[in-house]
Amino acid sequence: MGDEGERLRTINEINEKIKRGDVVVLTAEEMIKLVESSGLEVAAKEVDVVTTGTFGAMCSSGVFLNFGHSDPPIRMTKCWLNDVPVYKGLAAVDGYLGATAMSETRGFDYGGGHVIEDLVSGKEVVLRAESYGTDCYPRKYIETTITLEDINQAILVNPRNCYQRYDAATNSSDRVLYTYMGTLLPNYGNITFSGAGQLNPLCKDPNYETIGIGTRIFLGGGIGYIIGEGTQHSPGAGYGTLMVKGDLKQMNSRYLRGASFHRYGTTLYVGVGLPIPIINMRVARTAALRDDEIFVNIRDYAVPSRPDLRPVVKRVSYAELRSGKVYLGDKSVPSSSLSSYKIAREIAETLKKWIQEGIFLLTEPLEPLPREREFKPLKVKGRELYVKDIMKRDVVTARPGEDVKEIAARLVEKGIDHLPIVDEEGKLIGIVTSWDLAKAVAYDKRRVEEIMTRKVITAFENEPVDVVVRRMSQYNISGVPVVDRMNRVIGILTTDDISRRVVEGGGVWQR
Amino acid sequence: MAKVKLIYSHRVVDKPILANVVLRTGVLINILEAKVNAQKGELIVSISAEGEKLKEILNLFREEGVEVQELAETLRIDWERCIACGACISPCPTGALKFKEDWSLEFEEDKCIGCRICVTTCPVKAINIP
Repeated sequence: MGDEGERLRTINEINEKIKRGDVVVLTAEEMIKLVESSGLEVAAKEVDVVTTGTFGAMCSSGVFLNFGHSDPPIRMTKCWLNDVPVYKGLAAVDGYLGATAMSETRGFDYGGGHVIEDLVSGKEVVLRAESYGTDCYPRKYIETTITLEDINQAILVNPRNCYQRYDAATNSSDRVLYTYMGTLLPNYGNITFSGAGQLNPLCKDPNYETIGIGTRIFLGGGIGYIIGEGTQHSPGAGYGTLMVKGDLKQMNSRYLRGASFHRYGTTLYVGVGLPIPIINMRVARTAALRDDEIFVNIRDYAVPSRPDLRPVVKRVSYAELRSGKVYLGDKSVPSSSLSSYKIAREIAETLKKWIQEGIFLLTEPLEPLPREREFKPLKVKGRELYVKDIMKRDVVTARPGEDVKEIAARLVEKGIDHLPIVDEEGKLIGIVTSWDLAKAVAYDKRRVEEIMTRKVITAFENEPVDVVVRRMSQYNISGVPVVDRMNRVIGILTTDDISRRVVEGGGVWQR
Repeated sequence: MAKVKLIYSHRVVDKPILANVVLRTGVLINILEAKVNAQKGELIVSISAEGEKLKEILNLFREEGVEVQELAETLRIDWERCIACGACISPCPTGALKFKEDWSLEFEEDKCIGCRICVTTCPVKAINIP
């Protein structure tokens, strides 16, 4: 094979063919099949454009709105659409409605994404706004209903869409986790993933030879444009993103859907499709990449750390994930997507049709997107407060064979509520609280091991206090023994210790 | 085949009622889901019997103080709303929800135990239990 970068055709030549009606367009899936049956050289020679698509939850999405002026006019300082707050740090009647903003009356069930869907579906939406009143904008309150047709502009501007690929999720803990990656069952009960893999736009030109600022795309059922790299664009690591815009008035609610992730929040499912002009062999080759050649990590969401610090359980291909079963060790774990492959496919088909019918011409990027970008974590001033900073180290413990009465006396004498029960090596085997003692009296039990709770919720000394506070509130408990890696009790942390810390100032942070 | 929810109050939660029913009638009862603690027990079972035989079995439970709820319809899926994302598939404990060949969603009613995890998991609220 010669030089992979040698030009096979220009965007202009492709557009001429589109206008003549003899352009050859395949969806990414069809391109894969053609390469498998006829080889890459033939496919590259024959095919002008490969279309792609993805339809998934894209939280960094939203719409700029201009409502028009009322008479008398108002300089809206606070604004809501169907009780979802709109960002008002803009001119009098401009606002930005973000997909993850949640309704102040309906919470998790309804958010910015749902308002966008309702607007696109032509539904009436309640607009409410407040102001302090000025000489030029005397009005202080307004409440009315609007439709998409009524307002001047509704421009979808999404700062981060269309992730090239996305790490999959699982859960090693012993309880159900509700995350932006959906419901994760305990003990590696399932795996969820997102992205269309072999149909994913940015997987098909990972070198950004055809994708750049100004690229015309399918967005939400209408026409949109790439306006730059997306936030957290990290192309070097294979996690590129796009910032896109498009006119909401041209869009279609089939490809813009409000969504709620249980106990996490609201978002917007966005449909994006890119045309990949086959300008050289390298682009032809990447456009034909298959699910089994695109890899992501499966990360453990039980570890409440930064996304990139969550432990990697396994590296897998989209083919494995999409098969519905992934082996973790010798355990077969069900896997399923959160983004719709069916609608991704539909988007690639639609874009193909638009190009074939001559209603969608390709654009030359005005500027390429960066191929290298560092994705940095947030620099946090001060130091996080850890369990070891506030736990009590002189722990009073007891042994399973002890008498309940003696234990009760010890609790009273020391003024404590939690008594970890340890074996002869100091390893934690249970816990007794004042509540357990009440039970002992009620049921006339004598020995500690008859009343102790055996499944103890614990903490490690190097865990952030915030994380442990959340654990305590989830299990509705007021204290946790702190154990080392050998499960030996080295301290105890109670809500008393934490509230004392808050009362003394400084919250759970050290400055 | 009938799908039934059996609710045990704290008075009967320690009795081997289900085992007795199986022994007395010889009908197989498959436990699909069980939540039992000191105060209360809830079982979802599938009973391989119909008509009179089923009635007799359900009455045996009732006589022992177990509340019986017949689960007629399990899930209702709004196919207009469903976007075939798959978020409900891997959490489903019985594999009642899965993809068809064309990547649209398929629901196998027989396998469903009405656990509701798909109802909360569905991002577009397309699944309900009537």
